[in-house]
Amino acid sequence: MLNNIKKILFILVAFVSITTNAASHAHQNNHENHQITITDSWVRSAPINAPALGLFMGISNNTDQEVRLISAYTKGYKRIELHRTIDSNGVMKMVKQAFMPIPAHAKLHLKPGSWHIMLIGPEQVPSEGEQVSVNLKFNDGSTQTIQALVRKGRVMMKHHSMH
Amino acid sequence: MSAKFFVVVGAAILLIAAVLYSLSDSKDYRSLNAKLTAAQIMHNPQRPLSTFSLSDHNGDVFNNNSLMGDWSLVLFIYTHCPDVCPTELANMAMLKAQLENKRSATIPKVIAITFDPLRDTPKVLKTYVAHFDKAFIGVSGDTQQIDQLVKDLGAYYERVIYDEAGKPITLKKHEPLPKDAIEKGYVINHTARVYLMSPDGQVLAGFPTPHKVDDMANDIELLIKAFEE
Repeated sequence: MLNNIKKILFILVAFVSITTNAASHAHQNNHENHQITITDSWVRSAPINAPALGLFMGISNNTDQEVRLISAYTKGYKRIELHRTIDSNGVMKMVKQAFMPIPAHAKLHLKPGSWHIMLIGPEQVPSEGEQVSVNLKFNDGSTQTIQALVRKGRVMMKHHSMH
Repeated sequence: MSAKFFVVVGAAILLIAAVLYSLSDSKDYRSLNAKLTAAQIMHNPQRPLSTFSLSDHNGDVFNNNSLMGDWSLVLFIYTHCPDVCPTELANMAMLKAQLENKRSATIPKVIAITFDPLRDTPKVLKTYVAHFDKAFIGVSGDTQQIDQLVKDLGAYYERVIYDEAGKPITLKKHEPLPKDAIEKGYVINHTARVYLMSPDGQVLAGFPTPHKVDDMANDIELLIKAFEE
């Protein structure tokens, strides 16, 4: 009888533990905000002495309100800045941005010749095929950690436009 | 008729003769413009490149003679550029591959001249430019000499620093950089045209952005054929 009670108690504790963990995990996911999704994040492979690298991706905002990417962080760089290249009558202007706006139910494409994240002063330039872990912070308080693949930008650049 | 009339008529005849002579001395490539999809004719025998002397990435002299004898594609870059310049250099590597695939008789040399000789020494350029193609040539040197070449080719650049509040400040052309600019960093806004130089060391055509390598390869073949005819 005592053994049966122990078994029942064990099963109850295990059940409560599993459901609590599941609820906690779900809560964490909500906190990470899956209403913002990141696709095809990549760092352009660069010379071993490159002083700055470009980080690109697609950021989809699935919510009803504009969200803003306010910062990006990855270790091993002197500075990380949000930038946009603007073609002003043939002069390519590198304009630092305080944030990147992603309109409601829209996608912002970070790509060569346009919006991009600038990784400045790398301690070591990552090699092609490596993954770079980057933490993105949005104005709604959510964060996302992505793994950006280091690769050549040739596929993207075939249809590249400076606008 | 007065003597004054004969002087005016004589001067007019001389002027017309001089114009006709200058035109007969060179080909007119402007008729090619209708066939070109990416290039714009820049050929102008009246305005040859100024005399310049710079250094290639091996530290050897790179001057007007270095552009003679072969076809070249010249572009201006700076290595702290995270977006436009690596895109341009990657495009040049794709263009070279495209010309090789087409079995073009002539593959122009690629010469990348820095807008930023303060940070881009020949040694820096050698490592940087070779990443895109080992045959590419990086060129650095005296700022004034580079500025003259920039002017001759109709290119443009401006240096931009940021103040404490993050506000961009565009420096005037000859304004010295603040002492902490190297530490804090600065960017360069610039044109990104690619120039096709003929074997006489002069510019024949320019390719404005965006650079579509298929169109560029076709135009380069057309331009070389017209020059050599």
